[in-house]
Amino acid sequence: MIELHRVSKVYSVGPVKVPALREVSFRIGKGEFVVLTGASGAGKTTLLRLLYRDDLPSEGDVEVLGYGLVQMRRSQVAALRRSIGVVFQDAKLLPVRTVYENVAFVLRVLGTPRRDITARAFDALRAVGLSARAQAYPTQLSQGEAQRAALARAIVRRPPRLLADEPTGNLDEAMAAEIVDVLKDIGAGGTTIVLATHQARLAVALRRRTLTLEGGRIVKDEG
Amino acid sequence: MLGFLVGEALRDLRRAGRVAVSAVVLITLSLAALGGFWLVSSNLGRAVAKWRDRVRIVVYLKREPSAGDVAALLERVRVMPGVAGVVFIGKADALRALKQVLGKDAGVVDQLPVNPLPASLEVTPSAAAATPEGARELLARLAVLPEADEVAGSADWVERFSHWQRLLTTIGLGVGAVLAAAAILTVTTATTLILHARRHETEIMRLVGASEWTIRLPVLLQGMMQGLAGAILALGALLVTHSVVSPRLEPLVSLTLGLSELVFFTPVAVVALLGAGTLLGGLGGWLARAAREP
Repeated sequence: MIELHRVSKVYSVGPVKVPALREVSFRIGKGEFVVLTGASGAGKTTLLRLLYRDDLPSEGDVEVLGYGLVQMRRSQVAALRRSIGVVFQDAKLLPVRTVYENVAFVLRVLGTPRRDITARAFDALRAVGLSARAQAYPTQLSQGEAQRAALARAIVRRPPRLLADEPTGNLDEAMAAEIVDVLKDIGAGGTTIVLATHQARLAVALRRRTLTLEGGRIVKDEG
Repeated sequence: MLGFLVGEALRDLRRAGRVAVSAVVLITLSLAALGGFWLVSSNLGRAVAKWRDRVRIVVYLKREPSAGDVAALLERVRVMPGVAGVVFIGKADALRALKQVLGKDAGVVDQLPVNPLPASLEVTPSAAAATPEGARELLARLAVLPEADEVAGSADWVERFSHWQRLLTTIGLGVGAVLAAAAILTVTTATTLILHARRHETEIMRLVGASEWTIRLPVLLQGMMQGLAGAILALGALLVTHSVVSPRLEPLVSLTLGLSELVFFTPVAVVALLGAGTLLGGLGGWLARAAREP
């Protein structure tokens, strides 16, 4: 379960204070697929960063599985992140490694036994329909393929929560639909998904619970 | 996991390219300089130790004592502080020794009407007394023996030699330290470049919940690898130099220093040099550690 209690985030740019989130509160249950929508600058990315504790709120608290992220120690942050998969708009693939190596890298970093790595990496690549491109380098991929590779990397550890920050932002409609289908499949497996997108049509098409952000506030929670 | 960490470290070294090579070369130079001075110094140290063992103080006696008096005299000298051993050399023994030294000219001695050589005591100082101060104190003690006519010998020249050996060690340490500082800075620079090159890996590692050690260890390991590579190269260079130079120098050092051979490092010293190199590299890697996340 993910829960936010009156969370505000203010960035300081020199003497100027820029509010990114204002008293945001909501709760996401286990296995839920939630779409976070709003225009650019509405606070979607800030909100996601708070969920995997890449940043801390200025006020309020964020809870994941009952643990307060504000008071969390550094060693606990690593444990939290092992339970969360994250996908970004720009995929963030390592350019000097193949698609397979990018996916396997996560398992190797976390000390997965060598004999399990290949099988699990290919399972993840198959799940996103990219096993045929395993030996390609990121520069040889289309944007849709790169995004699917990033998804494979995020789910290879089989995390119970997946955060996707504008994963279709750079894609045309057909490619975006592919990614959405993959996300739906992952969600069907019981993974809690929070998908941030500025594409209102995509949110509507998904027909899932949608939180709408405007100027850092939740203005709508529907579905 | 270790295989992964070492693999990442090797990948980082390849990325660092020429800067990593420069770091290895500097570590090689610093350890070769340090090791070179250490080798020369340790061989000189062996010569000093050998010569200290050969320091003797001779007490020339006024007259040759009787057999009974010799035993009592030897006992009195043996219990003196700073005495490791004492041998009595009678007038006849001294003359025999002179003949041996003269060799084919020994016949000259037979022309002498009487044996002019005095009886003497050859005193071997203990290790503590084989220093200039210790030897001077022992000389003073022996000079007051009623049987003593004259006392000869000192350890000054051994100490002067020992002083030069210590000076050489200090110079070696100084040169080695300056080069080591340069090597650490170069490894730090190489590691900083590596950290910049692997920032995406670091970001992904943090994102997926890798431990801080897993993130930092490859960086530390690549520094240690540079240091170890430098140490191995330095030892190789010293070994080659030693095996080429020592057969040519050994006749000379045998004649001048009394050493039959020039020794190389002991296994412990080899391990110490390898460890020093690894430590230098590791220190450079550690100094360039990445900024921690908030």
